[in-house]
Amino acid sequence: MKRKKAVSAVLAASMLAAVILPGCGSDEHEGKTEIEILQYKPEAAAYFDQVEEEFNATHDDIHLTISSPNDASTIMRTRFIREDYPDIIGIGGDINYSYYVDADILADVSDYPGLADVKESYIDILEALEITPKDGTYGVPYVANAAGILYNRDMFEEHGWEIPETWDELISLCEEIKAEGILPFYFGFRDTWTCLAPWNSLAVDLAPADTCQQVNAGTTTFSEEYVEVAEKCKELVSYGPEDPFAYGYNDACTAFARGEAAMYPIGSYAVPQILQVNPEMNIDSFVTPGNDDASKNTLNSGVDLMFAVTAACENKEAAYEVLDFLMDDENIQKYIDDQNAVPCKDGEFDLAPMLDGMLPYIESGNMTDYQDHYYPSEMAADALIQTYLINGDVGEFLSDFDSRWQRYNRDIIRAVQEYNEEHGIDE
Amino acid sequence: MYEKMKARVNWPVTILLFIGLLTVAFPLYMTIVIAFKQPTEMTNSISGILSLPANWSLGNFAQAMELTDFWRSLGNSLLVTISTVVLCILLHALMGYAVGRNKAHSRFYNLVYLFIVSGMFVPFAILMMPLAKQTAEMHLDNWAGVIILYVVFYMPMNLLLYTGYLVNIPIALEEAARVDGASTWRTFWKIIFPIMKPMHATVAVITALAVWNDVMTPLIIMSGKGSNTLPLAQLTFQTQFGTNYNLAFASYLLALIPIIIFYVICQKHIINGVVNGAVK
Amino acid sequence: MKKVNDSKRTYMLITIPILALFVCFNTVPLIRGVIYSFTNFKGFGTYDFVGFRNYLDLFTDPRIGGSYMFTIKLAIVATILTNVISLILALGLNSKIKGKTFLRAAYFVPNVLGALVVGYIFQYFFTYILPGLGDALGINALSSSMLSNSKTAWIAIVIVCAWQSIAMNTIIYISGLQTVPEDVYEAGDLDGATGWKKFRYLTFPLIIPFFTINMVLCVKNFLMVFDQIMAMTKGGPEQSTESISYLIYNNGLSGGSFGYQSANAVVFFIVIVAISVAQMTISSKKEAQL
Repeated sequence: MKRKKAVSAVLAASMLAAVILPGCGSDEHEGKTEIEILQYKPEAAAYFDQVEEEFNATHDDIHLTISSPNDASTIMRTRFIREDYPDIIGIGGDINYSYYVDADILADVSDYPGLADVKESYIDILEALEITPKDGTYGVPYVANAAGILYNRDMFEEHGWEIPETWDELISLCEEIKAEGILPFYFGFRDTWTCLAPWNSLAVDLAPADTCQQVNAGTTTFSEEYVEVAEKCKELVSYGPEDPFAYGYNDACTAFARGEAAMYPIGSYAVPQILQVNPEMNIDSFVTPGNDDASKNTLNSGVDLMFAVTAACENKEAAYEVLDFLMDDENIQKYIDDQNAVPCKDGEFDLAPMLDGMLPYIESGNMTDYQDHYYPSEMAADALIQTYLINGDVGEFLSDFDSRWQRYNRDIIRAVQEYNEEHGIDE
Repeated sequence: MYEKMKARVNWPVTILLFIGLLTVAFPLYMTIVIAFKQPTEMTNSISGILSLPANWSLGNFAQAMELTDFWRSLGNSLLVTISTVVLCILLHALMGYAVGRNKAHSRFYNLVYLFIVSGMFVPFAILMMPLAKQTAEMHLDNWAGVIILYVVFYMPMNLLLYTGYLVNIPIALEEAARVDGASTWRTFWKIIFPIMKPMHATVAVITALAVWNDVMTPLIIMSGKGSNTLPLAQLTFQTQFGTNYNLAFASYLLALIPIIIFYVICQKHIINGVVNGAVK
Repeated sequence: MKKVNDSKRTYMLITIPILALFVCFNTVPLIRGVIYSFTNFKGFGTYDFVGFRNYLDLFTDPRIGGSYMFTIKLAIVATILTNVISLILALGLNSKIKGKTFLRAAYFVPNVLGALVVGYIFQYFFTYILPGLGDALGINALSSSMLSNSKTAWIAIVIVCAWQSIAMNTIIYISGLQTVPEDVYEAGDLDGATGWKKFRYLTFPLIIPFFTINMVLCVKNFLMVFDQIMAMTKGGPEQSTESISYLIYNNGLSGGSFGYQSANAVVFFIVIVAISVAQMTISSKKEAQL
């Protein structure tokens, strides 16, 4: 009997603990409008904590909460399925944004005055991401990232190497570097997603920006558009380590940081990881020159973070006030200093030194979105590219790419073609 | 008799076991060395990874503790783990008893047994979204919900373990108690539950380990509200484009300690179980 | 008669509430999941019912076929490897040895190390240390990374899976060995049974229930392998290590094919249940024979 009592006591206690534990919320912000932002970049959590604090200190009528959780994409999905929408979400400009717009989760913010200060090219990028054209604008681009080729500036200066501006120059530079016994590139293709870095930066140069939309409309195929991209990508890889598929992203960052290769085709996002290993390293970058005509080359840049007001947000005015605060030049400068990002807003900003080589493109707005922002993640384009780079069969690769695209995009393709028929767009 | 047998140490086996330990010692050595190193000491060479850190500073550990809000996360982890383990032992042992003693001769209990055990094979991914919705509707998007879900998730495995163990417990023990007039309920707590001690310890270890390392359930159920458990807090070291392995490893080493201690305590009970119980 | 009714009622009073709890948080969400498998649900927003389209698609999707092949191959090899090693280990750790507590704790460690640590260390091992060793010893087969070759990557995954799971299986075997009474051994000693014979005819029959449990748990854990894939290869190289759970999780929850992958999960669930029920029926027949 004693045991039974002890057992029930423990049972009761643990039940009680389980119930009490969560019961410690507070409602000290009564009377204020609550605005909640859920953003997907945990690496910028410190910045957003500071923004939250400053905003609340200067605003009496609005209380702002910004959460920057780890694994935010899972959290967003679970909150959406509960229909528990934050007021503003901070997401990247990729296919998820397309899905969210299509699912009517986001609100039209074309009446937000701050949009006028955002570079036209980034608004166009968001527009292009809409599955079927939709009136209005559904996100405020905040910062962008850029991908191309990172290089070891000190090493380049020491050997007197020049930044290549055409494909031929790039290849002869690689030969020159190789001749000096240095590895031109490092790759970390064991982490499949890194295969997309050289791929994307070549694809913007060599394939039409709207390739994916055209395929959806049924007017072309990847087998037609991607041949050159695939071949040149393969050629780049031949200047990398002997077995690039043995190394991961982290190995490649470490190797590049240690001076084991002169260049590393990856996005600016890799810089913090590289500097972690070698804080003194002098890194710069240049646009991947895929064409022989330098004027045809374009910077591979997409929206890395945008703020989108959800359709469920009850107080759009308050949300816009928060956006105004975030879009303040001073805050944007803080963000780009912190994260080596490219601002989407027009104006005078100081960019990180590793973006020097891309500055002319950024300033002139000569940039094209990542092709992979249109690829549904479940088709695993990165894995297809990895497979191709291992076995080298272009024809098989592109026909796989086409057939998988058709499989995973079936609903989108149907929507696009229905839309085109309805609106009499004859392709 | 027992004394004499204990005295005879089996040296060949002992030596083999210590040699086999290399498979554990080597990865553990790497973990410890990396946990003490600075990111600038990381290289891609074998000698580099095996070398000792430049200095044995506890800085990484201190920083890791600060970043994960260590004591608070540890407290949450402990609370969730202990509550789950206690509930699992009580409820699953009961269930194991009721089902195990009847499944051989009752269709119903055999069905219940197969039904619950097959629940083990439901891919968690298919449950995630429906559970996220359901727990919110039931206002269980909190620690209580997480604990209840754990009790349900580990029920199939624990039922399997308890019923398996019950096979080797002679039914005569209970029958004797029943002849003395004890109810089934009483017989269970008085006779069976204590005899199951080694299995309680096994269940405790396996369940505790699973809960201790789990990220998904609290992530989905709490959706970022409330404070973190240790593994949730440890996600901080990994972002999309960068991982600080040195801090992460320090943090993982810290998280390793409580569960190892728990295991060492439990494993004593795994050993001293049935033989003693049956003799008494 | 009263006694029988009392115990029947008690058994029912125990079973019904716990069963209800299980149904509420396992069966009900499963049914909701099954319903999603007939839709084109992305995981958010609106969706349409598409009938059996998802199920039909499964059979024409080469990735699904590939993932089944890989997963089953891995599960079989890893199950055998894990069970053999952990049974030997359990026997060793259960015998009269020095430093028992230390050894048992030490062999438990692999189970506790987080996926990030295991991934990093084994990636390092397969990328740098093993090829280095291969070069030093002049073994050509080892001199390139196992992880970059689609023919060998799965073996690397098997090694990591087994390395991590052996600890748990060993615990279960050890607890099983405790149910073997000392007098069985004493009787065996008198008959002069030694070594393998003693194990085969005295110990093993008595721990068959634990063997069954371990087989079922292994098959379950390895068929649902996910963490090790994420930590080691992310499905590569050449998509040779995409496990079923990897596809379900990555494409269904991170990607937008929630409905389609729910169908995959449903089929997968049925397959594992069938395998495991068969396994348990065979073992329980064996148990009955003994």
